[in-house]
Amino acid sequence: MTAIARTWGRLTLPGKVVFTLVPILAALTVGLIAVIAIFGGAIWDILLANLGIVRFVIAVTIILLVTIPIAFLNIYLEMKVIALMNLRVGPDRVGPWGSLLSVVHGLKVLMKEDFTPTGADAVVFTWAPVVTYGAAVMTVLVLPFAPGLIAQDFNIGLLYFFAVGGMGVVGLLMAGWASFNKYSLLGGLRSAAQIISYEIPLTLSVVGLLILAGTMSLNGIVEQQSGWFTDWFVFRQPLGFLIFFIAATAEGNRTPFDLTEADSEIVAGFATEYSGMRFGFFFFAEYVNVFILSALAVVLFFGGWNAPFPFPAISIPIDLAAIGLPLLFLIALVPPIATLIFAAPFYLMRSSMRWWVALIVGFVLFNVVAGGLVFAWAFVSFDWVAGLVWFLAKTFGFVFVFVWMRGTLPRVRIDQLMGFAWKWLLPAALLNLFVTAAAVVVVGS
Amino acid sequence: MDRALKGRLEARFGAMLAGPIRQRHDETEMRIGPGDVTEVLRALHDEPDFRFEMLSDLAGVDTGDHMQVVYHLWSDSTADWLRVIADGLSREDPRAPSATFLWKGAEWMEREAYDMFGITFEGNRDLRRIYMPPDYTSFPLRKDFLLPDDAARSPGGGVRHMERGHAPASRAEGSDAPDTIRRLGA
Amino acid sequence: MTAPSRTGPQPSADDPRVMLDRDIGVFEPVPPYPPRTEREAEFYTLGDGQMLLNMGPQHPSTHGVLRVVLKLDGEKVVDLDPVLGYLHRGVEKLCENADYHQVISQVDPLEYISSLFCEWSPVIAFEKLLDVDVPRRAEYIRVLSGELNRIASHALFMGWFALDLGGLTPILWSFIERDEIVEMLAALTGQRMLFNYFRIGGVNGDLNHEFMSRLGDWMSRATKQIESNLTLLNQNEIFVRRARGLGVIDTAGALRMCMTGPNLRATGVPFDVRRAHPYSVYPELDFDVPTRTEGDSLARYLLRMEEIKQSIRIIDQCLHQMPDGPIMAKLPRLLRPRPGRAYAAIEGPRGQYSTYAISDGTDQPFRMRIHDPSFIHLQSVGVLMQNNLIADTMAIMASLDPVMGGVDK
Repeated sequence: MTAIARTWGRLTLPGKVVFTLVPILAALTVGLIAVIAIFGGAIWDILLANLGIVRFVIAVTIILLVTIPIAFLNIYLEMKVIALMNLRVGPDRVGPWGSLLSVVHGLKVLMKEDFTPTGADAVVFTWAPVVTYGAAVMTVLVLPFAPGLIAQDFNIGLLYFFAVGGMGVVGLLMAGWASFNKYSLLGGLRSAAQIISYEIPLTLSVVGLLILAGTMSLNGIVEQQSGWFTDWFVFRQPLGFLIFFIAATAEGNRTPFDLTEADSEIVAGFATEYSGMRFGFFFFAEYVNVFILSALAVVLFFGGWNAPFPFPAISIPIDLAAIGLPLLFLIALVPPIATLIFAAPFYLMRSSMRWWVALIVGFVLFNVVAGGLVFAWAFVSFDWVAGLVWFLAKTFGFVFVFVWMRGTLPRVRIDQLMGFAWKWLLPAALLNLFVTAAAVVVVGS
Repeated sequence: MDRALKGRLEARFGAMLAGPIRQRHDETEMRIGPGDVTEVLRALHDEPDFRFEMLSDLAGVDTGDHMQVVYHLWSDSTADWLRVIADGLSREDPRAPSATFLWKGAEWMEREAYDMFGITFEGNRDLRRIYMPPDYTSFPLRKDFLLPDDAARSPGGGVRHMERGHAPASRAEGSDAPDTIRRLGA
Repeated sequence: MTAPSRTGPQPSADDPRVMLDRDIGVFEPVPPYPPRTEREAEFYTLGDGQMLLNMGPQHPSTHGVLRVVLKLDGEKVVDLDPVLGYLHRGVEKLCENADYHQVISQVDPLEYISSLFCEWSPVIAFEKLLDVDVPRRAEYIRVLSGELNRIASHALFMGWFALDLGGLTPILWSFIERDEIVEMLAALTGQRMLFNYFRIGGVNGDLNHEFMSRLGDWMSRATKQIESNLTLLNQNEIFVRRARGLGVIDTAGALRMCMTGPNLRATGVPFDVRRAHPYSVYPELDFDVPTRTEGDSLARYLLRMEEIKQSIRIIDQCLHQMPDGPIMAKLPRLLRPRPGRAYAAIEGPRGQYSTYAISDGTDQPFRMRIHDPSFIHLQSVGVLMQNNLIADTMAIMASLDPVMGGVDK
């Protein structure tokens, strides 16, 4: 007994933790295997019977996992692009061209003190970022990334998008109210006023499009835009797109409509009192919002995952099974031989290069080329890969436009913002709706 | 210097002048009693042959035995700065009328003079301390407010105000020394 | 937790007794502090639906450590009360305890964005006290470096103004401009910010090769570069709409507020000390005094941009007319002016800087009054912002271009 106690006493703190965890994990694994072995068939049947739910859970998990890198990518893009517009260098220390800086940002935010100010309404204060981030993430559910790559193809996808997307403002309002800070309160109220005003033109601007499309399913809208790029809705609804884009900028609290966090006026608006990961949630939500608003613009007006022209159907008949046994030799031999081939010129041409450095370079080059080939093969062979590539390319094009506007434009004033929404955007959206409806009636009859 | 201005000032304010009008370089200087400030400033500001519409500066001065309020005015009718010195405010309770009835911008300058010298400007709506904290009790630019350390002493020697205490006013301010000063470096 | 009453008399902002009550975590209105002045009583009495918002001394857009208490009705600013003194270091007292040469380095940090102008007016005042004739080459060098500093200051103004209106990029573009000039002046004076360059009777060093080569390089593209920077803002609809009609003041009002410089000229008064009361060699130089009549923020901005072009003209003429000769008058090390008084005013980028110096015959000024335009202009924010929004208050403040170092002295 004493021997065990002595051994336990000699362990360091991590040692104690690991020592405790290992048997627990082992027991759990054994139990899980046993459960699967005994009830495996029954579980499988239950899962199969509820395929929709399973699919949904998996999709939600993937989306939660995917939004974080998307936010990282947007943050990096913003830092770098604005830096270039400002004639600065921008991030260049962490990772190649500073590309890991936003990851480090995320870690920093995780490690900071999570602080609740005295006098704040702690419950509301805590839940506000969750609501905002949740709203941003949940909208991703209905986005069609590629043919078949959609979490849930609602027939009222667009309505769901606007409804859930509009919920983000509740979080901002909660944050503004609960922070016990006048700046936060002003920011929260500003965001409420702004988003409620801009919801209306935003929704109205796509009604004309809905008349043309005849469906609210985002997947359906995308499918209607296949073919040449002239079939994209932006060419049939140019005014609608303009209104949508402006309203989306306001909806995403982006410059020139970033009044809710106008740092020169109300410090950081609703986020003034937030720190640590709670602030991180707001931060991520903003950038996820930028992504999904760009994605929605692409889906509605720019053909979604459709290529701008009918892609010639190339099928590369690679029947791996037909090769038979030599396939094994191929898999074993191609990498080293290709590595040597790629390394040879570096080793032979540059006398200063060591052989092992040349080998590393050759290996990397081989991977790049092989990866490129596999990607090209996948691009022409699978619809969803091509679709995803087109979709992401277009979407990040829009993200770039948002960043560009942030680098160029000053901020509008709150009364100008409201006046613009009610006096210009709303009538224009109505006009767009009437013209579209009239055209449909005339052409239809 | 503008001799005509001197003549005009003497003709207009003859009785109110507390001393001779002096002129040097591009400056004309007149001294008045604190009681006449309102009338003189209004006349200088309003009357068409003066038109001193700009208050360039308002400063308090502690000469050691009395206080002054110094106004610098600019007008397009003359090439000189006009310096109006409201002279002879008591050090115990310096009081002068406020210039805010003509220049609202004098408000903060008067607040500063109040903060630094304790001069009370009657008619200023907002005569609080402006730089020093509200619970501060002394007036730092008065001559009897000595700096506690020696850091600012000049290596060149000379008479130091700190050691001297109050400067003899007769020598510093009220003397009738001629305005010509020997030219150096010429 | 019951919300304390927010109407009725409130404690003053600088009442030391107003502090965070740690037990309940709220600003509890203590029993009303007896208001010291009429104005304070009026300000700290809240009407229905009004609240006080404390802005600063740490706030992104108060241009230093300014604290402003805003009285808000929703987003609308009903009234404001600037609280100064966070940068106060008693320069006037320091100057009275320093000898005449040391004064120059004491006044340098007043307006750290345009330090040469802070040096210039005391130097002229002391020269008047001493009756010194400054060599013409020194005067030309002063004008040349001063106008460069004016451009640097106005360039920075452009960036700050845009930043307060929410534009990110102009501040970085204008810093490029400013940095070139500041490097140039560093080559001339040895310092980037607090130059300590002017001397009583001249300047500290003659033009050197590095300065001249940098200046020539910059002058060859200055006009074009500034024009291209301006297109970023002048043709920006959002910027123009936000700045136009904002913080309007008329001529009479501006004179009443003792405003000078570009802020006064934007109301239509062609008052420029360089022309109205010439000093140095400005009478020999050919330049215009631009004026505008609108008196709003946009006018103040455009006027300053116009002044940059005039300054380039002046620099050009200085380079052509610069005479040879000494750069310092012959003066003893220890200056003891005869008793007397002198007043000197100069036109800086923000308005009229002036110095009133009294000598009592010793080597230290008996009294040195420093008049700073930022101080005057900051006070007029309260007049300009009548019933504007919070965002506009910042923009108006920025359009007046105050520097807190000068405001607090």
